[in-house]
Amino acid sequence: MKKLWEIRELSTVVILVLEILFFTWWLWPEGGRSHPFLNWPNALLILKYSSIYGIAAVGAAIVIISGGIDLAPGAVMALAGVVGAQLYVVQGWGLGPSMTMGVIVGLLSGLLTAGLIVLVKLPPFIATLGMMGVTRGIAFIITEGQYFDVSSHLIGGWRPMGLPADWVAPIIMVTTALVFHVFMTTFQWGRAVFSVGGNETAALFSGIAVNRIKTSVYVISGVLAAVSGVVLVLVQGQGKADLATGYELDIIASAVVGGASLAGGRGSVIGAVLGTLIFGVLRNALPQIPGATFYDRLIVGLVVIVIVVVDQLLLKKRS
Amino acid sequence: MRRVVLAVVVLVGLAGCSGSKEQPSNAAGGSGGERLRFAVIPKALDIPVFNYAKIGADRQAKEYGNVDILWNAPASADQLKQKEILESAITQRVDGIAISSLNGDFLTETINKAIDAGIPVVTWDSDAPKSKRYAFYGVDDYASGKIMGDEAITLLGGKGKVAIITSVGATNLQRRLDGVKESLAKAPGIQIVEVYDIKEDTVRCAELIATGTNRYPDLAAWISVGGWPVFTRNGTAAVDPSKTKFISFDTIQPALDLLREGKVAVLLGQKYFGWGSESVKLLYDIKHGKMPPQPIIDSGVDVVTKENVDDYQAKWKKMESGS
Repeated sequence: MKKLWEIRELSTVVILVLEILFFTWWLWPEGGRSHPFLNWPNALLILKYSSIYGIAAVGAAIVIISGGIDLAPGAVMALAGVVGAQLYVVQGWGLGPSMTMGVIVGLLSGLLTAGLIVLVKLPPFIATLGMMGVTRGIAFIITEGQYFDVSSHLIGGWRPMGLPADWVAPIIMVTTALVFHVFMTTFQWGRAVFSVGGNETAALFSGIAVNRIKTSVYVISGVLAAVSGVVLVLVQGQGKADLATGYELDIIASAVVGGASLAGGRGSVIGAVLGTLIFGVLRNALPQIPGATFYDRLIVGLVVIVIVVVDQLLLKKRS
Repeated sequence: MRRVVLAVVVLVGLAGCSGSKEQPSNAAGGSGGERLRFAVIPKALDIPVFNYAKIGADRQAKEYGNVDILWNAPASADQLKQKEILESAITQRVDGIAISSLNGDFLTETINKAIDAGIPVVTWDSDAPKSKRYAFYGVDDYASGKIMGDEAITLLGGKGKVAIITSVGATNLQRRLDGVKESLAKAPGIQIVEVYDIKEDTVRCAELIATGTNRYPDLAAWISVGGWPVFTRNGTAAVDPSKTKFISFDTIQPALDLLREGKVAVLLGQKYFGWGSESVKLLYDIKHGKMPPQPIIDSGVDVVTKENVDDYQAKWKKMESGS
């Protein structure tokens, strides 16, 4: 039985709870009005928008744990969304096949990235920086500055599998996080990802197929970024080449805030999702404070620094 | 040696490419005059309304017969990249430049450099008022903002809470915001509860509308000084039109459908095609010795409501098809 304070995600949960408590107190309504922050529709709103980042953050965390970095998720999200939306709106394909093609685009992008890293031996930073430009560029070529209006083609009151549309994205995020948490903690593959990130040479000498592990993490990252892109298209109702610009940094920051070490070998996919929720709460609560909309960049930056510093201190104390 | 051969092959190839690009342009010259190359630079390639400006510019160029349009902009809004594109137009010695400034003050020096080099510059959509540009064609942003404010006062009967959506940084959006505030100040019963900065991110815009609607359940109106919320049906999904009126800039679809369905109350349409066609006309006239009648040419705005939306759309289709 793990001791409570040894659970990696605990500090992230504590920060999230403190954050929620703080905004609950700060935004407490006067005169018996309903609470503007602490209510179920608002919680669902936070979950819905956090899912756009959260699904991709699971992939980003796995890449970071393996000792790599992926700068392409934002661009892959845009390309997957544009491809899915183009097939759905312009070519008249069904929603399912169109969005599946979007996800396949992510798979191909992940394979190409892995090829550049494993076969061409490019550093992950350079390979994914290049892929970021390539995927974003293809999205612009497809759209030519236009956008595909998915929202006008979706039937009003659309309920996928009988569920309210707003629930779909959070369900995908939570399911993805739980599945990959199990893979990372109980499967040999997951342990190999940690080993490669912790010490690649040692992993190689202990018989781990390092290249295969690296390929798998970039493919997973590409696929999950594409799933995020599909979710984004459905939430936003648009396929547009500039969507998710700069999201890669939010996604990486979520993984880091959730306990992933950029040095590799340490991190958690559940932590990454909790990290996106920390940012999701900030994005939701700050605009509810009059005048705070212009301060949110500053506050988010400070929060990243404080959380990572606290995490480092706790880690030192544990060791 | 092999490297030299390769370099020669590449150079010959490049020369061939540029030759094959020039050829149809020269062949297309119909009016017999000297061939003119105008650089038309929107704020960014990913802003959908600018595609109509391109249609307008291309159509006008075709009408003249001896004008080539060099359409170029940063992929997404980036002031420095736009300046670089402007500078490259100067070094290419184009015959005229028509630009929608991301940041007028930032571009002033470069625009003046072009003028000093003998290249006429006009601005459209978003001005650089401190520069030596010959003319600006577009809406009077301050007046447009005031129209939005006036429409809100009428719709709300002069009282209620209002939230405004903008994106900080662009000069024209700031002018519209100033106009909205100025107009709303006339109605003491109206309270601006928040000005939201969406940072040119349409996803963030939809999220903020949902958050703001949740935060202010008694909100009487949303005013957006840009078209971000009406470029998708999902942008305004959180708003109940029976309680909250929505007023937005821009009229490209699905904005007009949202208006018809009552989701949006008022839209302000700009002269999207005119941005391109009128700018090309201005440059063409300048090159032929005819100066603009005045430095600021107010294109005016179309105030579109449920009552005139069908007429507006019919006119739009006519302009789009060029008939």
